[in-house]
Amino acid sequence: MLSFLLKRATMAVVVMVNVSIICFVLSNVAYDPAIGIAGAQATDEDLALIRQTYGLDRPLLVRYGEYIGNIAQGDFGVSYLTKRPVLDMIVERLPVTALLAILSMALALAIALPLGSAAALWPDTIIDRLAQLLAVAGQAIPNFWAGLLLIVLFGVQLRWLPISGSESVAHFVLPSITLGTFAMPPLIRLIRAGMIEVLASDYIRTAKAMGIRPFQITFKYALKNAVLPVVSLSAVQLGFMLGGSIVVESIFALNGVGYLAWQSMSRSDMPVIQAIVLLISLIYIVLTLLADLLNAYMDPRLRSARK
Amino acid sequence: MMEIRKFSRILGLCAALGASTAMAVPAYAGPEDQSITLGMGEDFPTLDGYINTARDGVVITMHIYDMLIYRNPKTFEYEPLLATSWERIDDRTIEFKLREGVTFHDGSPLTAEDVAFTYNYWADPANGARSQGSVSWIERAEVVDDYTVRVIAKGAAPAALEFVAGSLPIYPSDYFQSVGPEEFGQKPIGAGPYKVESFGDGLVKLVAYEGYYEGGAKRTPSIKTINWRIIPDTATRIAEVISGGVDWVWNIPSDQVEQLQAVPTLDVALASTLRIAMVALDAAGRTGADNPLTDVRVRQAVNHAIDRETIVANLVGGDGEILNAPCHPVQFGCDQSAAVIYEYNPEKAKELLAEAGYADGFSLKLGSYRDRSRAEAVQSYLAAIGINAELEMLQASASFSSWREGKVGAWYGDWGSFSLADSSASLGTMFDGSSNDGARDETVIQLIKEAGSVMDPEERKAKYAEAIRIITEKAYWVPMHTIVMGYAYTNALDFEPTLDELPRFYDASWK
Repeated sequence: MLSFLLKRATMAVVVMVNVSIICFVLSNVAYDPAIGIAGAQATDEDLALIRQTYGLDRPLLVRYGEYIGNIAQGDFGVSYLTKRPVLDMIVERLPVTALLAILSMALALAIALPLGSAAALWPDTIIDRLAQLLAVAGQAIPNFWAGLLLIVLFGVQLRWLPISGSESVAHFVLPSITLGTFAMPPLIRLIRAGMIEVLASDYIRTAKAMGIRPFQITFKYALKNAVLPVVSLSAVQLGFMLGGSIVVESIFALNGVGYLAWQSMSRSDMPVIQAIVLLISLIYIVLTLLADLLNAYMDPRLRSARK
Repeated sequence: MMEIRKFSRILGLCAALGASTAMAVPAYAGPEDQSITLGMGEDFPTLDGYINTARDGVVITMHIYDMLIYRNPKTFEYEPLLATSWERIDDRTIEFKLREGVTFHDGSPLTAEDVAFTYNYWADPANGARSQGSVSWIERAEVVDDYTVRVIAKGAAPAALEFVAGSLPIYPSDYFQSVGPEEFGQKPIGAGPYKVESFGDGLVKLVAYEGYYEGGAKRTPSIKTINWRIIPDTATRIAEVISGGVDWVWNIPSDQVEQLQAVPTLDVALASTLRIAMVALDAAGRTGADNPLTDVRVRQAVNHAIDRETIVANLVGGDGEILNAPCHPVQFGCDQSAAVIYEYNPEKAKELLAEAGYADGFSLKLGSYRDRSRAEAVQSYLAAIGINAELEMLQASASFSSWREGKVGAWYGDWGSFSLADSSASLGTMFDGSSNDGARDETVIQLIKEAGSVMDPEERKAKYAEAIRIITEKAYWVPMHTIVMGYAYTNALDFEPTLDELPRFYDASWK
């Protein structure tokens, strides 16, 4: 188990270094960061001053070396714009993004688990059709569109819910539905397919023959096994969501990591962009690792295979 | 049947849930407690007026801080603010007499020391004022006595008062020095009509400063609290103003303003601004020395090819107007009558192209950013005379850099002149030989330079007029139109848009 962990940790570091290189090079080569910092109306002298102030006139390799050296010491740099430590800016926005991610994931699972199971128990019935309709629609409707439709219905017409901001839990209802709807479709499909497979397996037939009640068979024996791949997928999706949804956070004016990413991109605030990309890849790697461990815990066969 | 009944029960549950959460929606009151909630598009990294220079930043700056003088947005005359009078001692020196009894939001009195410190601090390029053009003309500021300060320019600076009125807020020197620039940007103190109560999480809360002086050009606010909410998405801002979640929004696209007109609780406006749109042409050959646009006949053909009247009537709308000169008509020195005018005449355009040897047309890249429909209209007008324009729509700053780096042959951009009503901010920054300048005409560069450094108004006007004549005769630009700003606000609010795109909430009131 320990060597497995070590191997994964090493891999994680290699992946992160690669991510940092790609991100650093792309964000410096794509377009002139000095213009991003100075704004569209800057004059040539403004630009020259900025290049000098921020050291942008030095070679890329030198700047990357310095950057990585600082990160190794836990220093992610200072925002070009706010002059504040990048890490502080991200950390203070994490609660909003985390709340949104957890609510969305909970909503997606709360709908996908029963609906996917029901669709598998009664294939080709109206419930199955409904599940598939939701899966297709959820995947096909873009986030920004779903968000606007929800705003028009619940915010403008019915006026039940606040449209934007993050002052109260009520403010998170529409964004969570929007993001949850987006996360739900693959979960529904995976649960449905997993359940159909498990329900057709030998041990379920044996359980039925032993006269165990169908309810117990479904939830105690079948779902527990069908849910294994769902754990991995949920971890990956949660990882993406914790990186912040640019679209959903911008539409609903939630002051989270995704919105910070968008702002930083539109202003070429490179230290922030780079830190967010690293953060997302870190969360992603850690959650994938956790999901593997959880799966190993839930399925003894996986544990022994890795010894 | 069963399913339907269940379904309707679920819907009922949703409705009940909705109704209960509706109670939790914080109500931003409005007229009852003299507060207003704004839906603004841009976020602020800081409230430091020398760093926070994007449009919304300039607006909040003028609510928190006062400058020495004020430019009346209707008459464009300068009026007293922190300074009660000012006088040009010589070409380089202006002396300001300060108002006595003015206090900053922390109660400390304003003195000449604060003014001199603020100017001297930001005139130093090492301190990183975002818009160096606003401060780089300052050599130093000197305290004469407690209420007299002299500002000395590096050279003759005819537009100095524009910067003094528009871009140079006065800071309390003691507080600024004790907390440092970063902290100051988070917890600012100014001498303006509103003080900052809180800043963060997408909301800036401003409350009227009780100690604000009387007799200045800004009136004592009638609205006591401003909830300045940051809502980046335009569609969300529109939904908020329709539902009453916010009272005032701007940056609404023209077509949406027309639809919002139908909402009974709202007033809308598509108001003129100082922003001018142009199709700038690569006359200097930055995209390639052999490029067709280096031929004056080709540039004139482009001018004849575009039907600006139709574009303004259908795609700009509101108070948008056609431009003939490459500057805004209200700017000092922008003499529209000096311009050579090209009427819409595609036949003549084709003839000119043929004369220049491009009877079969040619291809070029057209960069743009603000409005795709307008850019596509230009693209199709060019296609009609045989010019195949490949449209490159980008974010504003990326589009600016592609023009400045000479990557596009034609650029349908616009320019806000930092809201300054002087041609030095338009002609003076677009035809000065800088990277904005796609013409790089030595005669024009010289004229612009002279107009920016002589003090005699008549002489300045004459020089700008001559520059305008050459620029239009040589067809370096297609001057297009003014840009309009779309506003929507509750009709219980008494608010008037201004030409300088700087909404003043201390002037607004509830009806």
